Amino acid sequence: MELSAGRDARLSVPGQTTNVSASSPLLKQTHAGGFKKVCRIEEESTCPFPGLPAGVLEMRVKEGSKIRNLMGFAMTRMQDEARDGGQTGLRQVVFSGSGRAVTKTITCAEIMKRKIGGLHQMTKLQYKGLREVWESQEGGDSEVTVHRTLPSISILLSKDPLDPLEPGYQPPENSLWDERNRGEASQTAEKRSVDSSETLTEPQAKRICL
Amino acid sequence: MAEPRSPVSASVPHTPMVLPTPEGPTLEMDPMEYTLRKRLPRKLPKRRNDVYVNMKTDFKAQLARCQKLLDAHREICIHGLGLAINRAINIALQLQTSSQGALQLAANTSTVELIDDLEPEDPDEAGEPLTRTRNNSAIHIKVFYPNP
Repeated sequence: MELSAGRDARLSVPGQTTNVSASSPLLKQTHAGGFKKVCRIEEESTCPFPGLPAGVLEMRVKEGSKIRNLMGFAMTRMQDEARDGGQTGLRQVVFSGSGRAVTKTITCAEIMKRKIGGLHQMTKLQYKGLREVWESQEGGDSEVTVHRTLPSISILLSKDPLDPLEPGYQPPENSLWDERNRGEASQTAEKRSVDSSETLTEPQAKRICL
Repeated sequence: MAEPRSPVSASVPHTPMVLPTPEGPTLEMDPMEYTLRKRLPRKLPKRRNDVYVNMKTDFKAQLARCQKLLDAHREICIHGLGLAINRAINIALQLQTSSQGALQLAANTSTVELIDDLEPEDPDEAGEPLTRTRNNSAIHIKVFYPNP
């Protein structure tokens, strides 16, 4: 059963995962029947960066967020620390966004990388669960809960080195992504095996051999 | 009215009070009127296992193409620019889901410089062809079966 047309019972059951993609005929039916979206609940997704210290600034980029607002805030926080020079300041920031905000999220990260040099980057992709409650407009108080999945992105920018062997890692200042990739494609096999033994203790090594 | 647009008549208005009627010609003489032509993005390397995702081709066709390449090469690179970023991510995540977690994703982001050409509507006008550059974000996702 993909749709639960009962009362709001489904809302309180977190284990139930009923997936209806946006293009499924079931969703179209709900449109045709005169349903109205009542609420929208984003499910808590697991943090894509395990082992991240608490208190890291997380910028949640939404579809309507203005880049100047986001960047104005994030840049001040990241640059404040540089003036104080203390280790306690802000050294990492996470930009995350889903659905139509993904492009904006990447743009924010790219702008910050350009303005603050030497940032290590880790990019993670995952699906994010979304629950929508639709209410019938035809008198009956039947409710329908729809599960949707949205693609989402999280980008961690860090002044401190990150694990270069983790998938999604990007060293600072590699605008020549394609060249790097071309070189990597031919040498991946042996390079990987050498790196794994040496660079675990010294992440900088990977950067130099690029 | 009979006079076609010419830069001379625009710069030397003999009697400004007499010309309230021809709204159209004056608008057309606006020197800011250009056709915007977007050049194609810079040529990027294309290996056999590179996929450049666009918004014109059917989504399912692109997904099927990626799946087929993945079976042959064990590792593919999906590239998306601008609006196609979403689609690139979607394809990568769907491939991963249908593999029951056997596939890994490694995403990188970059900025791509794009060039627009501004061509004057009327070649007789003084306006010169201009070019303007702007940046757009791009994503490159490596989809691969990790080595055991």
